[in-house]
Order: sequence, then C-alpha cells, then structure tokens
Amino acid sequence: MKKFILNLRLFWEGALLSYIALFHWLRPAQYLATMIWGPLASMLFFVFLGTYATGSDSASFYVIGNALQTIALSGIFGVTMSIGGDRWSGTLPYLFGAPANRFMMFTGRALMHLLNGVLGAIIGLTWGVLLFGLDLGRANPLALTLIILVATFSTSGMGLLMGCLSLITRNVMFVNNTVFFLLLVFSGANIELSRMPAWGQAISQVLPLTRSIASARRVIAGGSLSSVVPLLLVEFMIGMSYLLAGYLLFRWFEFQAKRRDTLEAM
Amino acid sequence: MKAIEVRNLRRVFRATIGVVRRKIKEIVAVDDISFEVYDGELFGLLGPNGAGKTTTVKMLTTMLIPTSGEARVLGLDVVRSAEALRSRIGFVFGGERGLYWRLSGYDNLRYFASLYHVDPAVSRKRIPYLLDLVGLSDRGQEKVEGYSRGMKQRLHIARTLLHDPQVLFLDEPTIGLDPVGARELRQVVRNLQAEKKTILLTTHYMFEADALCQRIAVIDKGRIIALDTPEGLKTYVKDLAVIEFEVYGVPSNVLEQLRAQPYVHTVSVENRDQKQALLIHSPRGSQAVPDLLSMMNGIRIGNVIVREPTLEDAYVRLVGGEA
Repeated sequence: MKKFILNLRLFWEGALLSYIALFHWLRPAQYLATMIWGPLASMLFFVFLGTYATGSDSASFYVIGNALQTIALSGIFGVTMSIGGDRWSGTLPYLFGAPANRFMMFTGRALMHLLNGVLGAIIGLTWGVLLFGLDLGRANPLALTLIILVATFSTSGMGLLMGCLSLITRNVMFVNNTVFFLLLVFSGANIELSRMPAWGQAISQVLPLTRSIASARRVIAGGSLSSVVPLLLVEFMIGMSYLLAGYLLFRWFEFQAKRRDTLEAM
Repeated sequence: MKAIEVRNLRRVFRATIGVVRRKIKEIVAVDDISFEVYDGELFGLLGPNGAGKTTTVKMLTTMLIPTSGEARVLGLDVVRSAEALRSRIGFVFGGERGLYWRLSGYDNLRYFASLYHVDPAVSRKRIPYLLDLVGLSDRGQEKVEGYSRGMKQRLHIARTLLHDPQVLFLDEPTIGLDPVGARELRQVVRNLQAEKKTILLTTHYMFEADALCQRIAVIDKGRIIALDTPEGLKTYVKDLAVIEFEVYGVPSNVLEQLRAQPYVHTVSVENRDQKQALLIHSPRGSQAVPDLLSMMNGIRIGNVIVREPTLEDAYVRLVGGEA
C-alpha cells in the first residue's frame, strides 16, 4: 500500500514538476497564443475554406473537427517535448539510475498535457459557439466530456510513443509534424471519411481522434451516449496501444542504453 | 567489510567504421580490473582522460552492463540485482547538466526525492538539511539556471544524498570548477567522509586524490597499474628527484636528447601560460643539473628547482607521461 502511495506521488510530482521544469519558458502570453489564438486561426482557415467549398450549412462539421484537432497540439507536441526534454537537460542518466517505477515516471509526463488538451477542446468549441453559432443545446454534456477525455487520452498515448522516438532520433519534430498533418487530413477533422480513398480510410482507422471526432459530431447532433460508446471504446484501445508501444520502446531504449552506453550519446 | 568488490571487470565497445565496407573496431575501455573498497573508505580512481574511470563508475552504478567479470556493491551484483542496488547507492557525474534548470534547487530535490521513493515527511526535513550541508540553504528557492557551476555540482551532491545512500560514486565532481568552487566541493566530500559514507571518487587531479583519498587506484588504458595509499604511491618515485626547468619553448630534438640520457627516467613538459615547465625525473637530483643545462644550450631558461617527488610525479612515472 505504501509503495502504491509513493508511486502515486511519483506520478503526480513527475507530472507537475516536469511540466514546470520543461515548459517554464511558456510565459502566459505564449501559453495563451498556443491555446487560444493558434487554434482559432487554424479553425477560421478550415471553416472558411470548407464552407466556401461545400456551403455554409457544413460549418459545424469543420468547427467540431478542428476543435478536437486542437487536442493533438498538447497530446502530441507537448507530451513529446515532455519526454524528449530530459535528453536535452541531461537528466536521463539520473532518471534511469533511480529505482523509480518506470511506468509511473513515463505516464506521469502526459498528465498536464492531457489537461491542456481538455482545455484546448473546450476553448475550440467555445470559439465555435461564439463565432460560428455552433449549437450545443442538444449535446449530452456527459457524453461530450467523455469524448474529450478519450480523445486527449488517445492523442497523449501517441505523444508518449513520439516522446520515446525523441530519445532515439534527433528529428522527432519532423515526425511529429507529419503525424499532426496526417491527423488533419485523415482523422476526419476536415474531410469526410466516406470521401477518402480506401487506403486513406485504412490510415484513419489506426489514428487517434478519428472516432472521437465522429462521436462528437454525433453527440452534438443529439445522439445518445450509448450510440458512441463502441466508437469510444475502440478509440480508447487505440490510445492504450500507442501508450503501451511507447512504454515498451522506453524500456527498450533503457536496455539498449545500458548495453551500448548510448544514454548521453544522443 | 567490503562495500565494493570488483573482479576481472571488462568492458569492450564495438564501433562501426565506414559506410560501404563496414568494419567493426573493438575498443577495450576497461580491461580486466579488480579492486575492493572497504566500508567508510574514500577510494580514488585516478587516471588520465579516456583511462576508463567513467566506464567503471557506470558499470558499478548499474548504468552499463559489463562485457565480462563481476562487480558487487554492498554485496549486490550490479547486473542481477540492479533494481535493489539503485536505492542504496548515489552517484554524480561531472559537469553541470543533469538538473532541471528551470526549477529551483529545492524543487529539483523534491522531484528526485520522489524518484527515490523518499517518504514526503522525511524529504521535507532532509531537503533543507542537505541544502545546508552543501552550502545552498540561502539559494535553495532560486532557479538552478542562476546557479554557478560549483553550486550546480553541490546541488548534485545534495541530490545524490536524498535517499541516504551507503555508497557514493563521484565521477570527477570538481571538473570545470574554479579553485574556490573546487575547494568548497572538496570540503563537502570531506563532510561526507566524516558521515562514514563509502565513497568512490574519480579524478585526474593528483592533489585532489592526495588530499582526499585513503587509497588510490591508478588506471590507465583500462587497466589498474598501481593501487596503494597516497604515501605508498609516492614511494614509486622515492629514488628520484624532480628537476623543474622554467623554459620558453623546447625543441623536440632537445627532448629526445634529454630522454636518451641513462640517468633520466622521465621527461615531461607542462604548459604554464606563456612559459612551460620541463620536468625531469632523475636519481642524480641536483648533480644532474649542469649536464642537463649543457644539453639545453640556446634555450631561454628561467628558474631551476630541484624538489622531492609528489603524487603527481609518481602518477607521471606510472602512466609514462612523456610529453
């Protein structure tokens, strides 16, 4: 029991202190720009472009898609930097030399970004309501909350995997940008899945966000929680798969570092 | 009782050379070393850069798997019992990295305390005590990015003491520090010794090893070439005197000529700002000076000193430091 409490503390302190340690450069103005103005600009671009191409009735399609896409900013870029930051600060030898529970140490890094992701989605939907008249009146609040939570979890799972890649490669931001744009194109945020070629649909099925965005559209249109539970379960499993793959990669990296002395050679 | 036991420890690295015709080159970083460190002892591992000191420390701190041989710390095998061992040892690698610069010194310690499962009630008392021990109690709430290099190194020492480890590995802790910072850090090491910690200290500063260590293993090219007390090591050169010439440039042919003399054991040159120190070990002592001066005809010479050998001279003789 005591060990469980100490691990929980490690999870919480790892989450909080690593966030402060690695993102302290993010001053309030920069934070607001990242959370509010950047996603707004992206949403305006896609909503105007989309409605120009397909008509003003489709605005909510783009608003919902891009509001949830905001989650990927924290989930992927934030979590990656949270893991990769230890490489730059030279703290990896001390982390791997500690008896700390690796799973708690690893997953704790995602917590604050998960909360940021939730906040980002809420801000995105608020912009939709204020600027584009998005109607949330028929949405089940519980279902919408659950969708946002599952979406942040699944993107953070992918972020943890990308974070581990950042321990191995110097070019992880290139990989991250590629993943982010893959999501932009194939998650259904801006293009209906039914209009994609078969190979595009296949990609969308293994990405996080795809099912969350579909669920959000269904719930905002008045759909029930039970109607989206199967989608959310699959989305959760996808997030869990990425998280486990990331954790296994993390342990593999640790083993290789001990075998080949590559901890500081990055 | 033995705190550290090393038996025939060896570590080989494989490097790949070339792109098309790839060749694998083997580099023996640590070559069949054996030694023991006793409980409460401050043991030095002294050697030049690339001698294998850090590789040895990495293996003893579970950070690197040995190629062969065996090492036990507190009776625990460093490979098979790595998990259990980590909570009982502490280590510091030289340099100022390895801390979260944007956190305060206090918060750095708080995070590392959680990594070592230190009970919060214990860490709340221990962190101020450790900050005081390393002379940072008045700067603990400031961000580490504002610390000097010496302060960062001292914070590293505090970090490694959070879980009250029995054995400490300090890998070149004073590297890059100014004289004042290095002296303060050495005082911290002495305080730890007074607390009966077992310490393995690596350094390439002879005076540091001489001032701190009870026994010293001299390591060169991965092998231990001598292991003794500082006084014992000095006896390696007790038959020799050191003749030190202050010079302003010495041609290589003169160095060769000096080395060729039967009464000259070692010749080395140290750079000292604008000038150099030409160090010659010889059993003839001051009697050799006139002959040596005659061979340095045309060279501008300042002071000439004949002195007793130090640990540094013993070290130079052991590692064959012919410059």
